[in-house]
Order: sequence, then structure tokens, then C-alpha cells
Amino acid sequence: MVPNPKFKQVFVLSTAMLSFISFWKAASIVLCDFGSSAYYAGGIAMNAFGPAFPWFIMGVMLFSGLMLGVYTESCIMFVRGGVYVVVREAMGKVMAKLSVSALVFDYALTGPISSVTAGLYLGSLLGNILPLLHINWHVPGRTFAVVFALIVTGYFWLENIRGIEESADNNLKIISFVAVVAVVLIAWSGVTLYSRGFTLPPFRPVFSHEALGWTVNFPWLRTAGLIGLVMAFGHSILALSGLETLAQVYREIEDPKVQNLKKAVVVIFLFSVFFTGLLTFISALIIPGDLIAGKYADNLLSGLALELNGPYWGRLAMQVAVVVSGVLMLVGAVNTSFVGANGVLNRVAEDGILHDWFRHLHKKFGTTYRIVNLIALIQVLIILVSRGDIFLLGEAYAFGVLVSMTFNTASMIILRFKHREEEREWMFPLNIKYNNIYVPVGMMLVLAVLVSATGMNLLTKKVATIGGLIFTAVFYMIFHVSEKMNEKKARFYAPDDDNDEKMNLRREADIHTVVPELTKTRRILVPVRNPNNLVHLTSVLETVNDDDTDIIVLSAKIARGIQSGGETMSDEDREVFSAVVLLAEKYGKTVKPIFVFSNDPFYSMAQVAQAAGADEIVMGVSGSSGAEIQLERLAMAWGMLKKADAPSKPVLAKVVWEGRQMTYQLS
Amino acid sequence: MIRQPDGVSLAALLTPENVIFLEGKPSKEEAVRQLTERILPQVSGLIARKALFDRVAEVEKLNPVLESGFYIPHAKFPELDNFHAVLGLLPGGFIDPVTGINVKAVLLLLSPHKPAFFQRHLNMLSLLSQTFQPELIEKLAALKDQSAAAALIKGK
Repeated sequence: MVPNPKFKQVFVLSTAMLSFISFWKAASIVLCDFGSSAYYAGGIAMNAFGPAFPWFIMGVMLFSGLMLGVYTESCIMFVRGGVYVVVREAMGKVMAKLSVSALVFDYALTGPISSVTAGLYLGSLLGNILPLLHINWHVPGRTFAVVFALIVTGYFWLENIRGIEESADNNLKIISFVAVVAVVLIAWSGVTLYSRGFTLPPFRPVFSHEALGWTVNFPWLRTAGLIGLVMAFGHSILALSGLETLAQVYREIEDPKVQNLKKAVVVIFLFSVFFTGLLTFISALIIPGDLIAGKYADNLLSGLALELNGPYWGRLAMQVAVVVSGVLMLVGAVNTSFVGANGVLNRVAEDGILHDWFRHLHKKFGTTYRIVNLIALIQVLIILVSRGDIFLLGEAYAFGVLVSMTFNTASMIILRFKHREEEREWMFPLNIKYNNIYVPVGMMLVLAVLVSATGMNLLTKKVATIGGLIFTAVFYMIFHVSEKMNEKKARFYAPDDDNDEKMNLRREADIHTVVPELTKTRRILVPVRNPNNLVHLTSVLETVNDDDTDIIVLSAKIARGIQSGGETMSDEDREVFSAVVLLAEKYGKTVKPIFVFSNDPFYSMAQVAQAAGADEIVMGVSGSSGAEIQLERLAMAWGMLKKADAPSKPVLAKVVWEGRQMTYQLS
Repeated sequence: MIRQPDGVSLAALLTPENVIFLEGKPSKEEAVRQLTERILPQVSGLIARKALFDRVAEVEKLNPVLESGFYIPHAKFPELDNFHAVLGLLPGGFIDPVTGINVKAVLLLLSPHKPAFFQRHLNMLSLLSQTFQPELIEKLAALKDQSAAAALIKGK
């Protein structure tokens, strides 16, 4: 019997980000935002520049492939990336704050434009179905859309306070259903086009007065040639919203991370071209122009379903499928706007430019619920102000997406020069090697397109420009003031670390209460102590398959004579776990971090390893004692704690350091 | 009897001649010094007296007292081909200045310093710490006779 307990307190880290998702789920999160524009982009573009809209929507979707390429390179460079981190690295904090402020404006609009569109689709469907059921109720389109949008926003507000994992599952189900409906719709449209024949839409955009914005004051800027193309492209670019979400979910993607990112990108691109691009194009071929501009302006794909060849009941059934899929996807976009905005604001908060108050974690769910509350509040206000006018929302949209993509692309170009030595696992194509620099000609061409569209949109989209600038200025001020407050706090207390991680820690009375959470066939215990010495954890994350292996990361704090049970973690202890979480994210592998107070770290290792039934213990080398002494102390602790009747399961003990390792068997 | 998979056994190592009772209340250093004197004949001709005392004094500071109240100062020497050990039993015990634990059993272990032997060295440390649990230490410290102590260890 051992006379004294080895540790009194066990803390288990249970932040949501420590579980990772497949590329399908990652793609579905992005698509719920990015792909949902299929339901409204065509109608809004038609409203802005007439029947040429499908060419430009398709053009934007093809252009999305290039943007996905830029984001792929930036995601691989910065696991916890996104526009803020990328721009900060390339251009500094001021530009980063500006770009992220603009981006938050877009997230704030994504929810309302999606939920209102869903309400309009549903209202339109009810308008067709209720008379068949002899229900004499005229659905008030916009009012209905506003009420529906508020309910949806409320629902996802609660879902996001609960955490991302459940939401990612929902997104995958939604996208799978939407894909099935899209295939049926495309096939049926093909049959209709075959029997009816078709005429390609005109390529020349004809702008409405509102769509010209301030350019009416500059007659030489009117619509002709390349300027007209850029103007129309700018009005269609709202279909591109949602790519930033890719950067936000990259940290959640499971191992092998880069390959899974590439797969997700291909899925997103193909889905977008065929779903948003092709369906919008087909709509223009099948639906008469006056109906696109009128009856189906705010529910284009419903119009496509109803204008197909076939009996009315069949077309109505198709409309039901389109509306159900659309409503699901659009409400999924509401969720994505929460996830994306939350992710972006968390990144900036980690950098100390959003007051720590926002990052307070929900006691039960471990989510940054105050940020989620703020996003919900802004979205509700926008829904109420819009009064269900999808064109007003469309007019305001795309400011942030263009600004953030422009900043992101410019930053990636700068980083090719600034971080020239950094090895890149993947580079955006079309590069010219000059000395040791890969001059990014391809990205420069993309930037030229973005800068042209941004400049033109500033002139043509009045609501977006005014609303975007005001919103950006307000958020910039919030970031600026927060930063100053945090700096002041840092002078009086402790300096904030660059990657300060808010953690949700669960206190357990005993290690045995944690053991049932270990469900995989193999278990590896990785003791950690120094955040700058995690070579051994890296080697485990590089080689171990976390599908069948629980990776238990143990940090033991030396506390002599612990008795009371009231011990708490210090900033240094949290720093160790932050480093562990960052590393787990980098490799996309799930770890189980456990923190214990102990009067001897080797007893803790032996006790946790025996309680968990570990197959391996992988230690980093200690600079003060050396590998042999570490193994000796572990062997003694192991023997002392081992019960005589315990099964003689072989347990490997390893000490790993740069390029070397010592392996012995504990018995 | 507790036995390691590689056949490491305490019975052969801790014969009655290798068990001593340290009377009074010696300090930790004094207890280790007495055990070193006792083990010296086993390794004379292989390790010089000064080298042995110097090395043991060094490890005496490095090796921690186990929570069970058992203390294993251990040193490795390239000149050795086998384990050598002496067990000191202290009925009065001494208080370890670092941990405050009352120590009633000290085992000085000398091992070969050879890479191929390190696994056996670890097994021996594990076996010793598994064997010398508080109940056994109390029983051993209460005995007066070396043979009885060796027999009690053998019976574990």
C-alpha cells in the first residue's frame, strides 16, 4: 500500500477543438455558406444587370477555384490562420484589423441574407400549397421571411453555444441531401432543355439605375467593354462569400491535414460550379426572363422547378424538394456565419485585440458564448432593418468578402518575398523562380482581378460601401480600444501570449473517472512539461494513428505536500496545454490532455499509465537529468505502484529527442 | 515470489550475508556509507575503493527516496558484469531531508554500465520497488536476524 496519494487534483482539458473532422464535414461547413448563394445570387444579379447574369455567376464560380487555391496556400502556412493572421504577418496589425473588420461585416450579413432567402422560398412554396389544401391564407412574403429568419437565427445561436461538432454533422447531412436534389434537378432540366431547345442568354450586361451607384456621375465609366465586365463581375461576387470559412475550419480538419484540405477544396469547387454555376445558368435557359425578374426574383430555383416540363404535381414535388433543400442549406449558412464569425473573432481575441471579456467560456459547453451572443444580436438587428428585402441585403453584401480576399491575396504575395525561406507544402500555380524567390505571377493576376472588382464595387454598390465602411470603422474602433485596454492590463499583470488559449477545464477527483473516456484499442501516454520541448509529442502525432489510439497528454505539476484539493492551474501550466493544443491542431489528431498536481511526476506517469492501461509511455528528454535517469525513476515508480496480481502487459517506455530515442520495456 | 520476465531474482542477490541491520539513527549519508563499506569486498579487485565511494556519494544525492519509505541508491560501473547489492535495515529509521519520509530500508545496488544490461537494470529497479512495499519494510525492520530477513524477502 502506498501511504500518500500521489496527486490530489486532476484537470481534464475538454475544449471542442480537440476533436477533428473529416474533409467531407469541413467541405460541408464551407459549402453551407459558399454554396447557398445559388438560391439568391442569380436573382440579385439579374436585378442588377439583367439577363447576362448566368455568365457572370458561372465566371465567379470558376474564379472561386483560383481563390480556393490562394486559401489553400495560406491555410497550409497558418493552421490557425484566416485573413487576420495572414494580413498581420504580411502587412502588420493595422491592416489586419481593417481586413477582419470588413470580414465580420460579411459574416454579419451572411446569416440574415441566408435566413431571409430561406423564408422567401418557404413563403413561396406555402403560397402554392395552401390553396391546394383549401387553406385561405395569403402568405405575407417578406413578413413571413423576417419571422422565419429570426427563428432560424435563434436556433443556431443556441446550437453554436453548444459547440461545433454537432453542427458539422448537421452540415454534412444537409449538403448530402442538397446534392441529391441538385442531381435530380439538373437531370430533369436536361430533359426539359432537350425537348424545348434553348437560346443562350446575352453576354452584355444591362445595368439598372441602382446598380450603377455613383458611377452615374462619371459617364465615361458606363458599362462598356472591360469596365462593364468588371462592374457586372462585382455585382456577382456575392456568390463567392464563404471562402474565409475554409480558413476557419482548417484547424479542425483531421490527419492527414494537407491532403484532406486539398480534397475538401476540390469538393467545394466542383459542388459550386455544378450547383451554383450550372443551376443558375440552367435557370436562365428555362425560366422566361420576365418571371426571373418578377415572380421568381427572390426564389430562382423554385422557379426552375416550377418551369420544368412535366405534370404540375411533379413540378410542385420538385419545388418542395428544392425548397426543403434550400431551406436546409440556407439555415446551414446561418450556422456557418456563426461558426465563421466566432472563429475570426476568436483569432483576433487571441492576439489581444478583442477584450478578454468576449472570450469567456461557457461553463458547460466550453464555447465562447459571448462572441456567439454578439453575432446573434447583430444578425437579428440586420434582419429587422432589412424587413425581408433580399435586394437590399444583396446590395449591402460582398463588401467584406472582396476586401478580405484582396487583403488575403496581397498578403500571400508579400509573404512569398518576406518568408522566402519557408518551405511550402503547396504553392499557388504560375510562379517564376528568381534567385530563391518563387515570384507568384498567378496570384498577382488574381489580385489584379480582385482589386478591380473591389474598386468598382466601392463605386457601384452604395449600400455596401456606406454600410461596410461604417461597420468596419465601428469594429476597427472596438478592436483598437480592446487592444489598448489589453496592453494596459498586460503592463500591470502578465504579458499575453500570442497564442493564448482559452481552456475549458474539468476538475476530476480521480484519474479513474477519466479512464472510461478512453475508448480506443491502444493508448499512448505522452508526459509534457516544457512547451518548448514537445519533440516527443510531435513524433507521436506524426506516426500514431489516432483512429485506434488514445493519445493521453499528461502534464504533472510538482506541488509538495498537496493536501487541500484547492489547487489551480497557473499561466505557465496553461501555456503548456496551449502548445499541446496547437500541435494537435497542426497534425489534426485528437489528444486527451490531462493535468495533475503531484509531488512526483514519475509517480503520476506510472499511475496514469497503469490506470489507463497504456501500451506506451513516450517522454521527452530532460535537460537536467538525462534519459537514463528518467527511465530509472519511471521504472522505480512503475514497480512501486504495480500490484502483484496485475496482468503482465508489456509497456514500452521511450525517451525521444532530436533524431534519437531510447526504448525499454517496463515490466 | 515476484520475478521479472528476464529472470532477475532477489533471492540470489540478497543472501543473509548481504543483509545488515544498522542500529541507532544514522543519517542518510552515514547509512549509505556503511552499506558501501559492506559491499566493497564484493567488488574489490574490480572497482577501486575511492572510485566506489565517490560514485556512490554522487548518486546518493541524485536518487530519490520512494514514497513507500524505501531508498535505492544505485550506481553503474563498466567494470561489473553482474548485480551486486547490500540491504540495510534500520529499525529506528531516518527522516529523508528532501521528502520528510521515514526510511527503514536502504538497498545499495551496483550494476554493470553496459547498454545491453540497461534493460535488466531497469527491471531490477522495478522489481525492488515492487517488492519493498511498506508492509514488508515494517516486518523486516522488526526482525533481528539476517537469515530471517533474507528468508522473508525470498518468500515474497
